[in-house]
Amino acid sequence: MMLDTNILLDALVYSNMLALLSLSLTLTIMTLKVANFAHGDLAIIGVYGAYTFLILAHVATYLTLPIAFLFGGLYALLNYVLVYSPMRRRGANFVMLMIASMAIDIATRSMLQMYADVLKLNFKVYSRAFIFNDVVFNIAGTRVRGLVLISTLSVVSLLAILYVLLMKTKFGVAMRAAIENPALAEVLGINVEKVYATSWFLAGGFAGVAGFFLPFRIPTSPDLGFIILLPIFAASILGGINSLSGAVIGGYIVGVSEILGTYLLSQPPINLSTAYRPAIPFAILILTLLLLPQGIASLWSRGE
Amino acid sequence: MINLFLLMVDIGTMYGIFLILASSMELEYGELGIPNFGKVMFFAAGAFTVGALAVRIGTWLAGITWEGEFKTKSILYSTLVSRYFASHPLDAIAVFLFTLFLASIMGAVLGIVASYPAIRLREDYLAITLIAAGELFRIFGRNYDPLIGGTMGVGVPDVLAWLPSGAKEAGYILLSLSFAAATWLILYRLSTSPYGRTLRAIRDEELAASTLGKDIVKYRMRVLALGSAMAAVAGVIYAFYMGSVLADDFNPLKTFLVVLMVVLGGSGNPFGTLVGVAVYILLDRTLAILKHYVVLPFDINYFAMFLFGVLLLLVLMYKPEGIIPERPLLTVRAKFCRREDGTPERKLCD
Repeated sequence: MMLDTNILLDALVYSNMLALLSLSLTLTIMTLKVANFAHGDLAIIGVYGAYTFLILAHVATYLTLPIAFLFGGLYALLNYVLVYSPMRRRGANFVMLMIASMAIDIATRSMLQMYADVLKLNFKVYSRAFIFNDVVFNIAGTRVRGLVLISTLSVVSLLAILYVLLMKTKFGVAMRAAIENPALAEVLGINVEKVYATSWFLAGGFAGVAGFFLPFRIPTSPDLGFIILLPIFAASILGGINSLSGAVIGGYIVGVSEILGTYLLSQPPINLSTAYRPAIPFAILILTLLLLPQGIASLWSRGE
Repeated sequence: MINLFLLMVDIGTMYGIFLILASSMELEYGELGIPNFGKVMFFAAGAFTVGALAVRIGTWLAGITWEGEFKTKSILYSTLVSRYFASHPLDAIAVFLFTLFLASIMGAVLGIVASYPAIRLREDYLAITLIAAGELFRIFGRNYDPLIGGTMGVGVPDVLAWLPSGAKEAGYILLSLSFAAATWLILYRLSTSPYGRTLRAIRDEELAASTLGKDIVKYRMRVLALGSAMAAVAGVIYAFYMGSVLADDFNPLKTFLVVLMVVLGGSGNPFGTLVGVAVYILLDRTLAILKHYVVLPFDINYFAMFLFGVLLLLVLMYKPEGIIPERPLLTVRAKFCRREDGTPERKLCD
């Protein structure tokens, strides 16, 4: 059986996206201990922000990447400031925060649907199932799709920025301290609230960037945020849910197995419908919980 | 113009169906503390059982030979079977009872399967596992045509076709409300009995409950089996009332609505469930009627969902105990504690 290069490249792009999403989900889980069921929606908020900007100002598509970052980040910040932070102060438990994130998911998706209706009415554009046109770069004679290049570059540079921020700056030390032990960090004069808000902004921004790459691959609609939620969680749990590096590796494992697995299963002799695609991240999720509940991060980090 | 009679039928029947679902969620989440975010899967199990079997058994009873594909012909044959049921009430009742029996067993078995992760996993892992399982169940129903007709859906014969028009609609209200009443009474009896107190003890402090000799695994398994069987019964009534089963109808939104009803009414109190379902149904129907009178630049259904999402958020933030809060146990003289900021806390005061 021959594997097309295009499928491998598609797996790479999808995994890049998933790595950013599971990384940012893990960041929010580490700060607030909330499983955010609206995390996929942050990506869609980002891409709708970028799309709106594209409609208003006719610029090159890739120039709107920072807009996606900004929209995703601001929306996540808004979630944190308006909902999670007040609920945490009132002593809401883990399950209540989880239900709140579910409510945010429903509200966000219906808000995006309403926005899509308005967008269609006012600008006469496709506001659902829209796609972005890609550019092709010519590097030393080989033609490379812009998506492959730019999504990989984005992941590498965002990871580098996050690494420097967490490990080399004073703010990073404060952030790690606030994650490790919020009460002690507070005593030492760290503004935990500010640190958490910043992490949420960053997480939303990363999700927004991931969302920006969606319309290059598949038609994008408001409900897509919920559809991509399962692979994101599978990747994050595979990564050990409390490890940023684990989340990135988890993203690549889930992404590659989802794309290649779906492709292989849809070929003869199995001929399974590609609609069963969510079964692959689901299987990874179940296997992780059964075999390696602490995630792959437990393989290299010492247990606490 | 809105037909007032049909509106009442719709409100009454849907109230019953959602009350069954909300009662099962209240039992699992409110009493025992298992956030069963896969509720729609068990609801679908009931509806899929009816979808797959009712028309097949009906044609067999009526002696009709099936020609053509299940996917394309099920609607036609369900009409023929309904016509047969109009003159054979006993056959109709037999089909209803048989599918009801089978569906509740299906639900209970699925509930026992779901109890394996529910006993072992942290709440967030459990939630995503159950949501995903429910979605896969829906995807299977949507893509495997012989089950419930795939994307076309399946027709369900009318088991009350033998009643005259008018009485038939009232019959569906009665059917739905009587099953709902029975379910709610089971919930209420359990909740106020020593069994219910054990469930709450497990919810509030698992370790303490197990030191007192309570087998937590067994309690969780039984409650999930019972709750899931209840949800399957709701699915059976829903399928017969709608007259068709469409896989995509069973999306995670249904689970969200049930969670909304339980939290809004007040989780931990069976009376809260009664109120929560009523508030939701009234809000939903009001918005559906308003749809005919207002013009918005967007689909009002999305607006309704947006409102429900925001409503649940506001309840969680400002009144997490719901409209009718959980009352202290009847057997113990104690008041709910209040924290410094005045919010009630689920523990006994010193």
